[in-house]
Amino acid sequence: MGGEPAGPIDKKGHEPEDWERIADAVNAALGKRGFQTTDEHRRAIESLPNYRDLSYYERWASATEKLLVEKGILTKVEIDGRAAEIQRRWEDA
Amino acid sequence: MARFAPGDPVRVRPGAKPGHVRTPDYLKGKPGRVEVVLGAYPNPEDLAYGLSGEPGRVLYKVGFRQDTLWPDYEGPSDERLYADVYEHWLEPGGEI
Repeated sequence: MGGEPAGPIDKKGHEPEDWERIADAVNAALGKRGFQTTDEHRRAIESLPNYRDLSYYERWASATEKLLVEKGILTKVEIDGRAAEIQRRWEDA
Repeated sequence: MARFAPGDPVRVRPGAKPGHVRTPDYLKGKPGRVEVVLGAYPNPEDLAYGLSGEPGRVLYKVGFRQDTLWPDYEGPSDERLYADVYEHWLEPGGEI
């Protein structure tokens, strides 16, 4: 990975989790509506400081968040507030 | 207008460039041969920062001998790896 040793490749297939499907769908919708491009998303993914600690779709979601904040479409406070609200609803259910 | 034609020997420019690039590190400085002129496309290095990417840059399918890329390569010497590389990452190369 990045020209450095990355260990053995996990070749097992796996079913995407629901949140991963949503991350993909949100990304596609933002692209379709002109809020972000694939190249911007790739750049944002590759510049994540914790890139190596994240799974594939964690990178996608983190990069999308980064771009939305960078472009002034959402603020970090709005995103964190909404995430906390969803977390509370989830725990109450 | 494409600077290189199919069959031309080329070399990928060595060294780093700040910002987002689509040219893989393992090809930097390596010799290859133009296989196909793929046409001009918006520059992904500019698209990555929300710019238009215009004027388009010519993209080439370039073939690299595997044994020039990997120091411990043990496969056939004529086996090639193909990668798409933009013109501004290529310079004229010697015979390979």
